[in-house]
Amino acid sequence: MTKSYSEINEKIKNGSAVVVTAEEMVKIVEERGTKVAAEDIDVVTTGTFGPMCSSGAFLNFGHSDPPIKFEHLWLNDVHAYHGNAAVDCYIGCTRMADIRSFEYGGGHVIEDLVSGKPIRLKGNSYTTDCYPLAEVDTTFTINEINQAILLNPRNAYQRYVCAVNSSDKTLYTYMGKLLPKYGNAHFAGAGALSPLSNDPDYETIGIGTRIFLGGGIGYVIGEGTQHSPKSRFGTLFVKGDLKQMTPEYLRGVSYEKYGTSLFVGLGIAIPILNEGLAKKTAISDAELITDVVDYGVPRRDRPKPKQVSYKEMKSGYIELNGKSVKCSPMSSFYHAKKIAETLKNWIKEGKFFLNPPAETLPTDTVFKPMKITSELKFVKDLKKKAETCFDDCDIKLVAEKIIKNNVNHIVIIDRDNILKGIVTSFDITKAIAEDKKDLNEIITKRVITTSDNDPLDVAARKMKTNEISALPVINEQRKVVGIITSEELM
Amino acid sequence: MTIINCTLPFGIIRDINNYSKIINEILKFDITFNILKFSTGSNGVNLLLDVPEDKIRTITESLKKNNVIVNKKGRVIVLDNCIDCGACISLCPTEALYFNGDYKLEFSYEKCIGCLLCVDSCPRYAIEEM
Repeated sequence: MTKSYSEINEKIKNGSAVVVTAEEMVKIVEERGTKVAAEDIDVVTTGTFGPMCSSGAFLNFGHSDPPIKFEHLWLNDVHAYHGNAAVDCYIGCTRMADIRSFEYGGGHVIEDLVSGKPIRLKGNSYTTDCYPLAEVDTTFTINEINQAILLNPRNAYQRYVCAVNSSDKTLYTYMGKLLPKYGNAHFAGAGALSPLSNDPDYETIGIGTRIFLGGGIGYVIGEGTQHSPKSRFGTLFVKGDLKQMTPEYLRGVSYEKYGTSLFVGLGIAIPILNEGLAKKTAISDAELITDVVDYGVPRRDRPKPKQVSYKEMKSGYIELNGKSVKCSPMSSFYHAKKIAETLKNWIKEGKFFLNPPAETLPTDTVFKPMKITSELKFVKDLKKKAETCFDDCDIKLVAEKIIKNNVNHIVIIDRDNILKGIVTSFDITKAIAEDKKDLNEIITKRVITTSDNDPLDVAARKMKTNEISALPVINEQRKVVGIITSEELM
Repeated sequence: MTIINCTLPFGIIRDINNYSKIINEILKFDITFNILKFSTGSNGVNLLLDVPEDKIRTITESLKKNNVIVNKKGRVIVLDNCIDCGACISLCPTEALYFNGDYKLEFSYEKCIGCLLCVDSCPRYAIEEM
């Protein structure tokens, strides 16, 4: 059995098309089988609503009098990219405001713009003979400018990972707040409602596919950046007219200590052209598997302790290392479902038609890592010998070592060279001022450490975030193998 | 009805007139509430108020305007700009933040212990401590 786009569109036109959401399709195929479902169902709608950092908008303001060619411009204090013609710009959602950064960014500008709020535009120019104006400070609303085009190079990830944190401190990441020692787990993606998971071989989704975008109509304009079809991490490049969109499906967000982004609502209607598509659109949360990834390791290739299904993640808990870990989503299922329902209603009401893609998406591209031509340096390359004292020695001996070796940090160890603490020259000064005699009273026992194979930037960030100037280098047995200080990093 | 714990510091409360002024300001909103406990301590007057759940914000704001300390280690409320993502749920140790059957976020004041772990997990600043 096969159906054509025009047959389905004809049914939509005369109101007889049978449209269901991808969630409903799971049950239908379960009950009727793929063969009957393929005959009965014409369209399956999908939806997703989550943070999509690769989002932004092209705006065109029209010309001022006298005209200006922007060199730099800001929208509500958020720097927009200008490298195009005189009064075009691209506002990216993760760009943070110069003031109130981390609280307000490009994503919020887009939400405010779509809400009809006035946006302050400030810009300057080096001036030319044809563009003599040097500065602009004005406000505008979305209806007062020419084009406002949402243009997102990477949206609608087919699936995403489940993030956990093995380290001993709370991490603030783009996957949200991750508690130490596997204290919680976060995942993203709409599971069984995810557009690309319902057409994993990109039979119907490609260049020109008409979609639900931000509450309006948008289009897929190609594969998204980092499109990785072989590993089932496909992505989409999409565009749409912001003037049709609603703030309900475009929400500016701020992740603590990470930055800003934009929640984008995106839905795709999949025509059931054949039995294969009926089967694919019946994929359930239980069949969609993803990796648990440990964000406690600050490297590109992070450990992946296990795999989990969307069903398990959506249950609220995942099983990890024999323990039950609380798990919650970063994207909204409530809105994903609402998008699939809205798209379903548009089709039922004859307001939305399906079209074959001009070209389908590639199925064989690979997501390559960045090539770094400069040599990556590690702690082991720059560490120096740690000056050490035993934990039962006299404060005076520690002070002598500081002076004799001209250092600021003495690492305290036991007889087996195991790290016990650290003492700084300031601690010694403080001990004298407060008349303390026992070394144990002045040792910092909870020491922030590093290891030989930490990249230097990771060690530097540890010093910066903890406001300290040295890290003992230890091995897996917590034996001291050196020290790295801010002096080496400068 | 829900319970608010607040302190009227001695510097602000010198006599019954100061006290009445603050309480009358809440009464202006035409809200019925109970004073469960009235006590004086070394820091000032401590009050335990039983207030309607939907009026917590109005009352808290009115009290704060008068420099009343409203239960600093307080519980949280979820404001209208919540987008039901759920990023807060995994931070909550007591299931006070949870999804209902439609995956809309719900908050149970009774279950909340005021640990405040969730507050900075919200990408919409929709969680506020009281």
